[in-house]
Amino acid sequence: MFYIHQHTCISPQQTYINTNLELLVESVDNQLKVIEPGYESIPPAVLRRMGKAVRIAVGAALSLLQNTTTDGIIIGTANGGMEDCFKFLNQLIRYEEGMLTPGNFVQSTANAIAAQVGLLTKNHGYNVTHVHRGLAFENAMLDAAMMTKEKPGKNYLLGAVDEISSFNYNIDYLAGWYKTENISGRDLYKTDSNGSIAGEGAAMFIVNNISTAANAYVKDVSMLHAVSEETVAAKLQYFLKENFKDDEKPDLLISGENGDNRLIKFYNTCESLIPEHTAIARFKHMSGEFATASAIALWLGCYILKEQVVPVHMIKKNSFATEIKNILIYNNHKGVQHSFILLSKP
Amino acid sequence: MISAIGNSLAENRLSLMEERCGIAVLEMFDSKYAGSLPAGEIKISNKDLKEKLFVTEPGVTRTTLLALHAFEEAVKDSQLRSAEITSDDTALIGATTVGGMCLTDELYRDANTDSKGSEYLSSYDYGSVNMYLQSRYSMNGIINTINTACSSSANAIMYGARLIKNGLAKRAIVGGADSLSKFTINGFNALHILSTETCIPFDRDRKGLNLGEGAAFLVLEKEEDCSGKNLYAEISGYANTNDAYHSSSLSANGDGPYLAMQAALASANIQADQVDFINAHGTGTENNDEVESRAMLRLFRTLPAFASSKSNTGHTLGAAGAIEAVFSILSLAYQEIYRGLNFKNPIEGTGLIPVLAYKKMFLQHVMTNSFGFGGNCSSLIFSRA
Repeated sequence: MFYIHQHTCISPQQTYINTNLELLVESVDNQLKVIEPGYESIPPAVLRRMGKAVRIAVGAALSLLQNTTTDGIIIGTANGGMEDCFKFLNQLIRYEEGMLTPGNFVQSTANAIAAQVGLLTKNHGYNVTHVHRGLAFENAMLDAAMMTKEKPGKNYLLGAVDEISSFNYNIDYLAGWYKTENISGRDLYKTDSNGSIAGEGAAMFIVNNISTAANAYVKDVSMLHAVSEETVAAKLQYFLKENFKDDEKPDLLISGENGDNRLIKFYNTCESLIPEHTAIARFKHMSGEFATASAIALWLGCYILKEQVVPVHMIKKNSFATEIKNILIYNNHKGVQHSFILLSKP
Repeated sequence: MISAIGNSLAENRLSLMEERCGIAVLEMFDSKYAGSLPAGEIKISNKDLKEKLFVTEPGVTRTTLLALHAFEEAVKDSQLRSAEITSDDTALIGATTVGGMCLTDELYRDANTDSKGSEYLSSYDYGSVNMYLQSRYSMNGIINTINTACSSSANAIMYGARLIKNGLAKRAIVGGADSLSKFTINGFNALHILSTETCIPFDRDRKGLNLGEGAAFLVLEKEEDCSGKNLYAEISGYANTNDAYHSSSLSANGDGPYLAMQAALASANIQADQVDFINAHGTGTENNDEVESRAMLRLFRTLPAFASSKSNTGHTLGAAGAIEAVFSILSLAYQEIYRGLNFKNPIEGTGLIPVLAYKKMFLQHVMTNSFGFGGNCSSLIFSRA
């Protein structure tokens, strides 16, 4: 598929500057909010108009584009700038469709992120935003796989972002996707109730088809819409068979387990199908649950391949592998959208 | 397809031939602008759409209903068997910019109160539209939703074609849907680009755009899989570029539009003078029509016949690229071009005059343009099958 040459992440953990993943930042009121950096590369006048999703995504993207040019920008986001969307919505209702300012409306369109990156880097190339909820980032990955094949030698910016706003938190809370009892993120996997904790973040990658000096190789991405664990199991078995010869195996499974007792059956099913000596790590206690959290998992995968260390609080099952070469990521969004990603040492 | 000028492909073609304008005073939903603002509204209530489409489950929005209406017609017309629809090599790529936000008031209540929540809690986002189609038709292939503002469904078509080309799907059902909403009406109004009269694309005295609603889907298959099937056209070229100038207006030179049209020609491997007709983006705004004209004049030594069907349907946002792709394909299939409505005087400095009468003509290649906020520009080229 494609090689990852640079990766960066603004998340609720210390992933962006002075990366330190051993130190776990805990959730507050069942929400994990991003640690925002200063945004030196975004002009202040532009920065002031940006909502959080746009800000963190553009900030992360620009940090990779200081010395790298890209042929295109491929973003996955389920909702884009929710904060702006609801600011405009609230204005609209409260002023009874009266005098409205267009700023929030323009920023609220999901393509504003890719557009801002294009604008600030004067990039006239391919520019697209995938918004298919829990598979928005996976579809962006598939697009990147096609682009790097169609245009060999060219770089693409691939990334994802979603944010918590009090409004979309409220909607997903009412729909039962967040826990009603206040928990500590550390205890996320010990709970036996519906829902998870809310999260947000942005992860950005520079990708192409060149193996030289790459950090990681995305070997395969597979998506499905399914409500039964049997369907997911069949897809995983096929995925493993396609990607691993008899003597190979994933060294690590990064599981999207999120403490929702309605979804644990999917994660258990996948864990039962991977080889005995595959280690298992979890990350939703670090990122919280959101539609493009799999992009954080991909960033973590890149980090682990490079550093050859898995932060202790992530480990669910340890193994004795001497080297981590192949990482399988399984994620599930709201029990319907599933994805498998295979990340390898280049 | 479904739009303000018809509930089916045949009705839309007839309206285009008869030069019918579907833009009329907004009346179907509760807004300050109901009774005054012109819009390309589909005059069928949600209740009637649900009955017609046998939708009984809760939480289905108007955008989804319009998508379903168009999807059903496209699938029936393509003669795809149900095993083909559910096959894991059949992709569904849909586009929308409004999604479930057409329910502006419900969304406001659900976002701001801690009451029980409405039936639409899972329906507000963009993904909800195609998630419904996926589930209703038990689809197992690649399912995706694209939002690049007003060029969204042109990119959905392009993405589907690329999936097939890259061997990731054997066939792709591609298109888009958007419905009129308080959210977009007020957004475009705040930008001062809504016309209080019927829009007049490419006219000197144009006063802005009219919003519209609709949906269109196309079924794409490889040439070798099409024998014996109803064939409309070949998708021969496509390109997506960015103007990288401003978040809600196009650069004076029209770099984005120019590059999109130029790259689409290269992708189709044809020269500019081989294009026989352009279905222009032509929204009727001051900015778009002037910039698009300049970009066309930069690229084409002799400009081919062109017109904007937004004077028939209004600007259907995320559905526009797909609706206008279908109009382009109808032109190719029936070897005819449709006129732009209401035009009187050319823009000073460009002097461009769109097609002013329906006519039969030989067409080999038709280009269709879609440009959006955020500088997102896409051009598609369809060719005679």
